[in-house]
Amino acid sequence: MELDYSIVLGKMPLLLEGCLVTLQVSTVALLFGMILGVIGALCRLSNNPILKTAAFFYVWIIRGTPFLVQLFILYFGLPQLGIRLDSMMAGILGLALNTGAYITEIIRSGIQAVDKGQAEAAVSLGMSYGLAMRRIIGPQAVKICIPPLVNQFIMTLKNSSITSLVTITELVRSGDQIISTTFRSFEVYTAVALLYLVLNSIFMVIAGRLEKRTARQ
Amino acid sequence: MNNYILELVGLHKSFGDIEVLKDFNLNIVEGEKVVIIGPSGSGKSTVLRCVNYLEPIQSGSIFFQRKNMWSKSDLQRLRMNIGMVFQRFNLFPHMTVLENVMEAPVMVKKIARQEASELALSLLERVGLAEKKDSYPKELSGGQQQRVAIARALAMKPKIMLFDEPTSALDPELVEEVLLVMKELAHEGMTMIVVTHEMDFAREVGDRVLFMDKGQIIEEGTPHAIFNLPRQERTISFLRRISHRAFC
Repeated sequence: MELDYSIVLGKMPLLLEGCLVTLQVSTVALLFGMILGVIGALCRLSNNPILKTAAFFYVWIIRGTPFLVQLFILYFGLPQLGIRLDSMMAGILGLALNTGAYITEIIRSGIQAVDKGQAEAAVSLGMSYGLAMRRIIGPQAVKICIPPLVNQFIMTLKNSSITSLVTITELVRSGDQIISTTFRSFEVYTAVALLYLVLNSIFMVIAGRLEKRTARQ
Repeated sequence: MNNYILELVGLHKSFGDIEVLKDFNLNIVEGEKVVIIGPSGSGKSTVLRCVNYLEPIQSGSIFFQRKNMWSKSDLQRLRMNIGMVFQRFNLFPHMTVLENVMEAPVMVKKIARQEASELALSLLERVGLAEKKDSYPKELSGGQQQRVAIARALAMKPKIMLFDEPTSALDPELVEEVLLVMKELAHEGMTMIVVTHEMDFAREVGDRVLFMDKGQIIEEGTPHAIFNLPRQERTISFLRRISHRAFC
């Protein structure tokens, strides 16, 4: 059988629409994932035993179970308890909760990697914990966190493909739909892979610039 | 009524099973320069770190101008009055020299940036580093970094300055420039507690020298009394080891 990419080109609008949904799901999930990650990291490092334990269990459960199962619980499981989430809601929530746990660990280790003497110098100048975090520890931790965060962002973008299984018509599911009418699996899936590569490459270039800029200091 | 600026009463501090300070007492009057010497692990740095609560103590009291440091609500305000200089400088690497010195006055005392910048510049001039104001800490030598750290602490206009082995991390040829700044500060009447291995500095600047070992003050007195007429066996052997080291 000859390869024929003209079929893919004809269906490009559909694939690009899928791209857009992928971007939408990933960026919204990452936004909430970052918020969750910052809160999670601060909880894990706090002296309050309740916050500390809650954050520990969050990370433990999310990291210890497959993302697919987490999604299925949200989308197929919760309705049994009377909580009905639409597919977009379940997909974004699941992806945000998942990536948030990993980001929690990235930020926690970033904060802990900042020399202890920095916090001591800050508080001995009369700064509160919050101020020291915001002005002294935070900026230094961000620098340490950027490379692993870039990694996590890329993973999240790719993991968003799994939300196709809770019927979100993102890039992979768009591809599936094209295949179901054209039976051109190879052409369509390679095109889908290429589109992921393009999305991630754009992101990697931006991240690379950001890293260079913060490294200058 | 006493006129002590700082009183440490019956401090006990332990890390796990190891008792670092045992019933430690120290009173300091305004303007006094106290130098603490002793072998490593004797608890001398811990004393300083307890004074501004970087290390919590298990029991005892710390009074600054007769106010109890243990009340946590006052802690931040009290810390502003106590400047600390660390062995490893601990400058903020993401800020320029000027920003390092301005940071606390602007963010903690809420002084206007313009005013804080003038204050910072005059302090940098005082430690001889005004021309380095736009450099980042990693571009400076250790001695220069420590002088900036002193300026940073002084920017909060503290009543007491604590020096925790300020020259121990420096190359030998950079020690003198830091000691010079400290001596000037002493002559201006600053109350100082200095933990150091620089015996000449202790002799020249100290009003009182404490020799510590195993979490306790073994002997204290004027520099002359400690260095020339030590009475305790442990003081004598420590001083002998120190002076011996200087010749080899």
